[in-house]
Amino acid sequence: MKPLTITAMTLTCAAGTGLDAVRRALAEGRSGLRANDFPHCSLDTWIGRVDGVEEIDLAGDLAEFDCRNNRLAMLGLQQDDFIARVDALKTRIPADRIACIIGTSTAGIGVTEEAYRDMGEDEVFQPRHRLPRVHTPHTSAAFAARVLGLDGPVLTISTACSSSAKVFASAARLIEAGLADAAVVGGVDSLCLSVLYGFHSLDLVSDQPCRPFDRARKGLSLGEAAGFAILENDAATGFGQLLGWGESSDAHHMASPHPEGAGAAAAMREALQRSALGNAAIGYINCHGTATPLNDEVEARAIASVFDHPPPAASTKGWTGHTLGAAGIAESVFSLMALRDEFLPAGLNLDDPEEEWAGFILRQSRQQRVDAVLSNSFGFGGSNCSLIFGRLAP
Amino acid sequence: MSLRFDVIGAGIATSGLPDWPALQAALDGRGLAEDGKSPPSALLSPRERRRAPRAAKLSFAAAEQACAMAGLKPAEPVAVFSSGMGDLDITDYMCRTLKEHPELLSPTRFHNSVHNAASGYWSIGAGATGDVTAISGWRDSATAGLLEALARLNDADHPVLLVVYDDLAQGPMRSLWPTEHAFSGALVLTRAGHSKPLARLTADTSNAPEQHDALPDELTARIADNPAARLLPLLALIAGKGAQVTLASEQGPGLRISRAET
Repeated sequence: MKPLTITAMTLTCAAGTGLDAVRRALAEGRSGLRANDFPHCSLDTWIGRVDGVEEIDLAGDLAEFDCRNNRLAMLGLQQDDFIARVDALKTRIPADRIACIIGTSTAGIGVTEEAYRDMGEDEVFQPRHRLPRVHTPHTSAAFAARVLGLDGPVLTISTACSSSAKVFASAARLIEAGLADAAVVGGVDSLCLSVLYGFHSLDLVSDQPCRPFDRARKGLSLGEAAGFAILENDAATGFGQLLGWGESSDAHHMASPHPEGAGAAAAMREALQRSALGNAAIGYINCHGTATPLNDEVEARAIASVFDHPPPAASTKGWTGHTLGAAGIAESVFSLMALRDEFLPAGLNLDDPEEEWAGFILRQSRQQRVDAVLSNSFGFGGSNCSLIFGRLAP
Repeated sequence: MSLRFDVIGAGIATSGLPDWPALQAALDGRGLAEDGKSPPSALLSPRERRRAPRAAKLSFAAAEQACAMAGLKPAEPVAVFSSGMGDLDITDYMCRTLKEHPELLSPTRFHNSVHNAASGYWSIGAGATGDVTAISGWRDSATAGLLEALARLNDADHPVLLVVYDDLAQGPMRSLWPTEHAFSGALVLTRAGHSKPLARLTADTSNAPEQHDALPDELTARIADNPAARLLPLLALIAGKGAQVTLASEQGPGLRISRAET
C-alpha cells in the first residue's frame, strides 16, 4: 500500500490526559487503574477511569450529543492542540475531502441505561434523555465531525474491540479510492454498566489490576479512552506512517478466540504482506493482551506461528485497562510513540511470565530504536485487525 | 469522483416484501405480498434460529438471497453490515436488566449486544474468514454502507456483500426510533466487467438532496418508515426501474448512482 503519514495524534486514557501525561506514566511505570468507583456499580474490580470527564460541558449546539462517551471525546479532542491541527489541515485540504472515521463499541449506551433507570412506570424517557443523536452507535463519529467541522465521509465502525484499529484500514481505502484526500480517525469508548456487568457475566473480569501474559492473570480490567489521529498523503513530518493493515474473521465463536489463533495470524500476515516488509523489520509488537487466561495464550501462539523469531512484544493494558472500542487507537498511539520516542514499553504486573509460550514478551521497558511496530486488536465476533506503523525518515 | 461497479446479487426482507420476486411484483404495481415469508436461513440450524439475535435473523434474510442470486457461497465475499441502531431488542433487554438485576445479566445476550453480532454470526455461520465488518451511519446507514463497500471494491478485486438493516425499537426507545417495519436489503457488488451482472452502475459523490424516480406508494411509505429502507430506490434501480438514485447524507457527501454507459 501507499504509506499514509500520521501528522497529528492525541490520546486520553486512565494513564493520562494528552500525550505528555501518558508518556510520563509510561516512563514511571505508573498504572492508571484504580479500585472500582464507577457509579451504580458494586463489582469488586479495577477500572481505568478517566478523570475530568464529568466536568466537560457540552452546551449550545453540542447539547444534543451530551453523554459520557462524547464528553470523553471532547476532553480528548482538546488535548495536544488536536483541534488546531485539524483547522490547519483544513487550510491545506478542503473540509469536504477529509473523512471522519471513528470506532466505538459503547457509544452512548450509558445514557440509554440511565434513561431506563430514571423513567417512571409510564416507560417514557425523561426529557433530558430524549437525545436521538446519542442513542445510536453512530454518535461518536457524528459528534467528532460536528466539533471538527469535517464534511467528508463520516463513518462509525463498531466491531467491538477491533473497532478503532479498523478505522485506519477504512480511511486508507477511502483515500485510495479517491473518496477523500485525508482522514481524521479515532476511537472513543466509555465505562458503562453494560460492559462492566457484561464482561463480569462472562467471568472475564479480574478482581485485581490486570496482569497481561503473567501466569497469575485472572482476567481483564475495563477502561475508557479517546484517541484521534490525522492521516495524510505525502507529508514529510509526523509521528510515523501507516504501512500496512490486515483484517480477518475467526468464524469460530462470538466471545472466544479461535483456539489456534488462525484469524489473528491471518490478520498479521495480511498486514505484513501489504507493508511489503519482511518479518524481521518488525521491532516491537503491541499485543491485544487483555490478560484473560485464554486470549493471551492464543495471541502469543499466533505471533509465534507468524514470526520464527518474534520481536519484543507487550500489552499496554496494565496502564489503561481494556478500552474496548478505543483499544485500537490507544494502542496505535502507543505504537507510534514507541517509534518516535525510541522507547518500548513492557507490560505492567508481569512478575511470572509464561516462559514456555511467551518468552518473547518484554519484561522491562527499554530505550531502543525500531523501524516498524505491529499493533494487534481482536474483538468479539472473531473480528481481527493488525496494523503496521513505520518510523518516518528524519 | 466516479466509481463504476456491477451488482451481481440482491435481496430484500421486510413485511410484504419477503424476497426479490416480491419486490419486482410491487414495482410492477401488483402491491405487497402481505402473507409472504422470507425463505428460512440456510446458515442457521433450526436451533440456532431460535437462539440467534434478531439482528442476525433480519440481516441474514436479505444477505442469503443476495449471495444465492450472485451464485456465491456466503463465505466468499467480504461483507459490510451497516445498521443505524443495531439490535434494539437486546438494547431493551440489557437496559431493563441493568436497571433491575444487573448481576443476572445473561452472558450470551451480552456478547450478542455488540453492533457486530449480526456480522459475527454471519462469519461463523458461513465460515467466512475474510473481513466481515459492522458500521453505522445512524439514519444514513445505507449511504455509509455503500461508501465503505465501494472503497473495498477499489481496494481488492473481490466481491463485496453489503447488508443494510434496521429493526423496530422495543419499549421506550420507540419514541426516538418510531419505525414500524423491520427492513433489510442486501447487494453483492463486483468491479465493473462481470460477465452476467444484474446491473452495471456508476456512483459519483454528490451533495444533492435525496432523490429517486417515483415508486409505488407502499414502497415510498416504507422509505419514510425505516431509514434502512432508503436502500429501496437503489434496489428498484437494480431491478430495472428508474434511471438515477441519489442517496444523501446529513454529514459528508452522498452518492448519485446511475446506470453505467456501455
